[in-house]
Amino acid sequence: MSAGGRLRGPVFGGSGTAFARRAKTTGTTAFLALAAVYVLVPIYWLVVASSKSQSQLFSTQTFLPPAHLSWASNFKGLFTFENGDFRWWLLNSFIYSSVTATLAAVMSTLCGYGLAKYRFRGRRVIFVLVVGSLMVPATALVVPLFLLEHFMGLTDTYQGVILPLLVYPFGVYFMSIFSAEAVPDGLIDSSRVDGAGELRTLWQISRPLLMPGIVTLFLLSFIGTWNNYFLPLVLLGTESRFPLTVGLSAWVSSISSVGAQPIYPEIILGSLVSVLPMLVLFPFLQRYVARGLSFGGITGE
Amino acid sequence: MSSPFLALFAVFFAGPLIYSIVLSLRSPLTGAYTGLLNYRTVLSDASYWNAVVRMGYFGLVQVTVMIGLAIVLALLLDSPYCRGKKVFALVYFLPYAVPGVIAAIMWGYLLEPDLDSALGVPHRLGLTSGPLQPLDYRLALYAIMLIVTWEWTGYNMTILLTSLTNVPHEVLEAAKVDGASELSIAARIKLPMVRRTVIFVVVLSIIGTLQLFNEPVILNEIASIGSTFTPNQIIYTTAFAFGNEELAAAQSVVLAAVTIVATVAFYGIVRRRMDPFAATRAVVK
Repeated sequence: MSAGGRLRGPVFGGSGTAFARRAKTTGTTAFLALAAVYVLVPIYWLVVASSKSQSQLFSTQTFLPPAHLSWASNFKGLFTFENGDFRWWLLNSFIYSSVTATLAAVMSTLCGYGLAKYRFRGRRVIFVLVVGSLMVPATALVVPLFLLEHFMGLTDTYQGVILPLLVYPFGVYFMSIFSAEAVPDGLIDSSRVDGAGELRTLWQISRPLLMPGIVTLFLLSFIGTWNNYFLPLVLLGTESRFPLTVGLSAWVSSISSVGAQPIYPEIILGSLVSVLPMLVLFPFLQRYVARGLSFGGITGE
Repeated sequence: MSSPFLALFAVFFAGPLIYSIVLSLRSPLTGAYTGLLNYRTVLSDASYWNAVVRMGYFGLVQVTVMIGLAIVLALLLDSPYCRGKKVFALVYFLPYAVPGVIAAIMWGYLLEPDLDSALGVPHRLGLTSGPLQPLDYRLALYAIMLIVTWEWTGYNMTILLTSLTNVPHEVLEAAKVDGASELSIAARIKLPMVRRTVIFVVVLSIIGTLQLFNEPVILNEIASIGSTFTPNQIIYTTAFAFGNEELAAAQSVVLAAVTIVATVAFYGIVRRRMDPFAATRAVVK
């Protein structure tokens, strides 16, 4: 098994299969590395380009750092351009994502746990609704959602963006299966026998067992909200309430208007700032996120 | 315990869904019931169907390439010839943490000759009459394919890899004892065993393709590729630039119907061809 790893010295001195194995390992690694380059090139470019001033962007080699790093002035530009709207966008993205993720994880857990652990009338109907709504394309809802929120006075508000995102059918589906597997019925029964109420059982007995699933849901919802564009674009009108995606796209489109300020460095650095926190945290979060995604793949039919 | 979810579900999901159907049956001018008038407008709208067909072509090419690449990468990471599995798996998955808008900005600027001097290299070598223009309207579709593939290959690879990890060890050991090569193990055992997962990621990709919005919108700001490139762009423009919510609702309902038809058709195709794998699947179960 480990011959390829331990192989040393002249290849032809070894057996033919060892040579073939080593060739396959080299070929595999080369292909994997090539794919990694495809992924990393734009991210590398973003880091390098964010250090360039407006004139450096158009005069220096695309993939090489400039002679003088312009990060300091770019940061100043980013946080002061148009009254420093970018600071609001950063804060807003954080508010939208953390509030949505927290509430969506709690609500999906309550609903999914309820579906898995209690037998009540309408249980099957709810389950069918949840699974069926996984198949509705979200965009079919955007126009009527806008009109309904307009009617309720919710457009252009924080709650208007957050409330629709709390409806997270995948989360309910995920949590119903997760609780069925993670919390043995016997444990709940013995807690009841000991005289604990349902809520206390949920909090003290089930919650610790459900925690990994809750973390996964929180992360999926957080990333989904952070990356969302269509919904806040439609619902929001006031720039100081924009999340990063809507704000930066507004800057991108402002460049193409006549007599506009060339704000390429601000856009590029702003893009880096909006992805950096997640990219840095990702090695620690990957495991939880991957579990949530593959869930649909394994049980999703 | 389900009631908070159900209350919000009714107001922000079921409500809008029903409302969009009601809305699509109303006249854009008077608001009165007009039957299927809006649907007739949609059905005879050439630019709408151009966009739908464009997404069909996009799906055939891009989804095939992306899922193929995801399968190859997952199988390679799962093979004994792979070194540094964890690092590669992490790197491929990174774009999942990048918003589509930001991905489109990065790639959009990288594909702009003004900002990317590398695109001028063939010109300076005398190979082309000018710098490469990947965002030219004739090539923009392929530029979007490049971006979407960048965004979602690792996501699909991650789902497939988890599924591959669940292939029972005994089955693989038995194949090795029988002298099967790694290639035939990958093609004849691993791939058939994760077949359901492959179908699942293809369906997700088909749904995603028909909803394409962020990337074409951003590229249109950078290089004017057009505001009727995808069905969702048209729906957005109809509703919020022209203020015709009734027609936009009909366009949304038709898009949802197209999505369902495409998904069902795909299931129909793969179901019919399922038999060759039935034996393997029976062994697994």
